[in-house]
Amino acid sequence: MKRRANLGWAIALLLTSMGCTQAQPNHPPRTLQIEQTWQLQPGHSIAGHRIVSGLGDISVQVKGNRVYAPFDGTVEPHATDCVFFSSSQVPAYLIRLCGIQRSRFGDVREGEAIGNSTLLQVAVLRRQPSGQWALVEPSTSILERTLRKP
Amino acid sequence: MNRPNSYSSPSRPSRSSRPSRRRAAGHPPSATYLIAGGSMLAIVGLLVDLRTVFRPEPVADVCQTIVQRQSVLSRSELSRLLDIPERSSKATVQNVVSEPYCVLPSVEVRANVMAEREAYPLEFDPQTWFIILYENGEYAGYDFSFKR
Repeated sequence: MKRRANLGWAIALLLTSMGCTQAQPNHPPRTLQIEQTWQLQPGHSIAGHRIVSGLGDISVQVKGNRVYAPFDGTVEPHATDCVFFSSSQVPAYLIRLCGIQRSRFGDVREGEAIGNSTLLQVAVLRRQPSGQWALVEPSTSILERTLRKP
Repeated sequence: MNRPNSYSSPSRPSRSSRPSRRRAAGHPPSATYLIAGGSMLAIVGLLVDLRTVFRPEPVADVCQTIVQRQSVLSRSELSRLLDIPERSSKATVQNVVSEPYCVLPSVEVRANVMAEREAYPLEFDPQTWFIILYENGEYAGYDFSFKR
């Protein structure tokens, strides 16, 4: 009788855990055309070493702390450790964040954590009439929104 | 005359060989309850996505100033606006779409440039908002903000 009860518990737990872990919706990586065609970009390898930051990135020591969504928006994967953040409330802009671990993808609310980082690379991209994206100088306020705990 | 027994009822098991636990008639064993409960939890877990409970608020809640409460964007205004190239003047866009429903707070995304944002509900889909961004008097881009 005890074996049957244990089996019952096991089945119940298995079914519950299957129900609780929903499959993550598929988040395809986003790539885009950057207007500035610099030779060296994050992700390239030089002499066996990976470049993590390029011209246009602001590097910030976040020391393992969280990185926050500056607006209501969407996080999409880009490359290893990199995500794009976009917001329908801020058209024509994208933020590229590299050096992010444990990032969540999909819709996020303003102030929600996007992930954690030790050394964060922030780049702001502005859509051009050609459809390409240009790296522009990030403002202090956008960096603060991303880094300051709300 | 002795009739042979053509039929003999199957012998009933003796009382001593029955399972010793007694159950009131009609009660299923406890394992069934657990399976039933676990299945219900699994079904609830599969059907309910807690993330849909906590969703971003629609942009109407982030309007800073209402400009024209009656303002909506019709299909024809939208299609004419989509023809306007980026970097056209704000006046060119306003000629097509007139006053917005509301203005969102200005944001500085790019250093030293304040971006203005204006929002319109779509006439044909009032749950969806159309947001226009201007910088330095120029039209920079648009997006649709969906109420999730």
